[in-house]
Amino acid sequence: MNETTIVEILLVEDNPQDLRLTQRALIKANLANHIHVARDGQEALEFIFCEGEYAGRKIENAPKVILLDLKLPKVDGKEVLERIKSDPRTKMIPVVVLTSSKEQSDVVESYHLGVNSYIVKPVNFEGFAAAVQQLGMYWLLHNQPPKLAE
Amino acid sequence: MQEDRQLKSSLKEIDDLKAALDEHAIVAITDPQGKITYVNDKFCAISKYARQELLGQDHRIINSGHHPKEFIRDLWTTIGQGKVWKGEIKNKAKDGSFYWVDTTIVPFLNGDGKPRQFVAIRADITARKDAEMASARLAAIVEFSHDAIIGKDLNSVVISWNKGAEKIFGYTAGEMVGASITRLIPADRQDEENQILGNIKRGETLEHFETLRQTKDGRLIDVSVTASPIKDAAGNIIGVSKMARDITESKRAQEARRASEASYRTLFDYAPDGIVIADSQSFYLDANASMCRMLGYSREELIGLNASDIVAKKEIQHIGPALSEIGGKSDHHREWQFRRKDGSVFDAEVIATKVPDGNLLGVIRDITERKEAQAKIHHLNSELEQRVIERTAQLEAANKELEAFSYSVSHDLRAPLRAVDGFSQAVLEDYGPQLPEGCREELQTIRNGAQRMEQLIDDLLTFSRLSRLPLSKSAVDTGKLVRSVLGELNYIQKNRQIDVSIADLPPCQADPALLKQVWLNLLSNALKYTGKRKEALVEIGCVQAKGQNVYFVRDNGTGFDMKYAHKLFGVFQRLHRAEDYEGTGVGLAIVQRIIHRHGGRVWAESTVNGGATFYFTMEGENKL
Repeated sequence: MNETTIVEILLVEDNPQDLRLTQRALIKANLANHIHVARDGQEALEFIFCEGEYAGRKIENAPKVILLDLKLPKVDGKEVLERIKSDPRTKMIPVVVLTSSKEQSDVVESYHLGVNSYIVKPVNFEGFAAAVQQLGMYWLLHNQPPKLAE
Repeated sequence: MQEDRQLKSSLKEIDDLKAALDEHAIVAITDPQGKITYVNDKFCAISKYARQELLGQDHRIINSGHHPKEFIRDLWTTIGQGKVWKGEIKNKAKDGSFYWVDTTIVPFLNGDGKPRQFVAIRADITARKDAEMASARLAAIVEFSHDAIIGKDLNSVVISWNKGAEKIFGYTAGEMVGASITRLIPADRQDEENQILGNIKRGETLEHFETLRQTKDGRLIDVSVTASPIKDAAGNIIGVSKMARDITESKRAQEARRASEASYRTLFDYAPDGIVIADSQSFYLDANASMCRMLGYSREELIGLNASDIVAKKEIQHIGPALSEIGGKSDHHREWQFRRKDGSVFDAEVIATKVPDGNLLGVIRDITERKEAQAKIHHLNSELEQRVIERTAQLEAANKELEAFSYSVSHDLRAPLRAVDGFSQAVLEDYGPQLPEGCREELQTIRNGAQRMEQLIDDLLTFSRLSRLPLSKSAVDTGKLVRSVLGELNYIQKNRQIDVSIADLPPCQADPALLKQVWLNLLSNALKYTGKRKEALVEIGCVQAKGQNVYFVRDNGTGFDMKYAHKLFGVFQRLHRAEDYEGTGVGLAIVQRIIHRHGGRVWAESTVNGGATFYFTMEGENKL
């Protein structure tokens, strides 16, 4: 089985510190086994839609959840979200926005685009770790996803 | 023979008498029925009828219709009784002319005393009658003339004095006839009478001599005197006829007219507007100095020119319609472009009208300056509008920048803090036991700093958002809002007693979310700064001042020194140490920003340890 076929979490994060903190929190919760990291919006889209570097992937091997930052290089998080949610092949993938922004406009827009959850990253690490662990547990263990494969 | 001769001689005598009578008188004889049986030549001559036309007719043929029926009846009654009738009769000749005759009718009776015939002997008195009539007419004219007509002798003694004289001078004829005319002459003019008499004696007539005379009641009046000599039949001057007319009124009217003309002339000459008088074809008859100055023509040059010579070429076509408008008795009011002598043009406002003599009067005002001012105002307005558009655009740009800035702050400023906090914690977790004494506390301080910074960023973003978001006002039930805020604050604490009293709070017009923020900040402050009181008191109320709702929150907390009151509402300004009362110093700045955006005021009163009261004003519900 190809490493990328068993991805459970797609983590889209450009900030290396945030990336390490998120990974640290996931490791502590034993949820880090099947994480794939995309460092910008374009890489995230290529991974999800199996293009470019990820052309060998199968689109039906979708991650169980996508943790998406909003402010990203190249293609920003909202556009990524829009692409995912407007494509019938991917629109059922749960997407959780994990961002620094508390701006109402960001929250409202994200929900308009069909986000499944909007989490503000707290500065306080205990809070941050708790949030990441809880949403990992929720989407990976408690949530019952629809069968995506035909 | 003797008798014959005697008869002959008698007949001859009668014939002579008759011949003499015919020479002198108009004779007619009628029968008892009034039919003419004889007329003499003089009768025919004066009545202009031939004898044959008269014989057999009665006297109605020459009836003038002048005399009343009673007069004729009286005549017939008299002569019917055989008595002689005498009287003056007006008759009509064949050609329609009238003549007067002094008439004697003698009835001749037959044996039984009945009239046999009537002999009428008449004398022509037409000339006398005409003279009498003329003189009566003259007397009436003199009597009823409004002018004084006075006759006097050469010694200035008044002989006749008419009603006009009575009216003008106030003396009756009884008072004046026989008196000297000099009583009418003012003391300083007594010489005049002698001069007038001198002229009259030389046979001269004095015409329209204007002088002053004194009336009976002492008034001096202006009179115009015409005096002429009265001559007797032989042509000797025997007196003076004098006509005097009171011209006081006409003199006064003349004076008034002269004064009025003079003032109009002055107005015309000195008016700042151009004034022209033109004939009905718009040829100029006169123009004032302003008009000449405006157009650059002399008055002499302008007179005789036509409107078409002084209006701009494109305006010439409008002259005809304007003239018919004025001719149609309506005033003309319009802006025209005029052409000066040097060809340059200018704008003027014209009011033209027809004056009673049929000429046209035009008033022309140069409105170049007004036009320029209008253009300037127009220009300034559009400049101002442009400036407003630019400023608005600048403001919008600034707002956009601020928004982008906030967005960036919101996204990017927290990440480094998270790193500081997160990795401090990572060090504590991973290397805790190896760390030297005190290091754990320092790391904890680093984390505290980062977390406090996050709070500051959040507050700052909230504050900045308040300036950008549009207000959406509606009626707010203030009492309900306050209770819900208090509920959220969940202030009840076990270790101390907190009394909150809420008075009646009137509704207001405000953005509900923002107003909630105001109450939240003020009430949480009140709870915070009473934190060290065993019995905390928070009083919430509203008073009316100048038609505004003044809401207040009063506490018995630590208060502040009024000398720092000016710092109270500044961003990040704090009047207490962080270890005494935590906070970022943004809460009251937010309160002030929200109140100001609603057009209200906010202020506070306090004493150190004496509690504080925060007031703010907000439009009442009835205002909208």
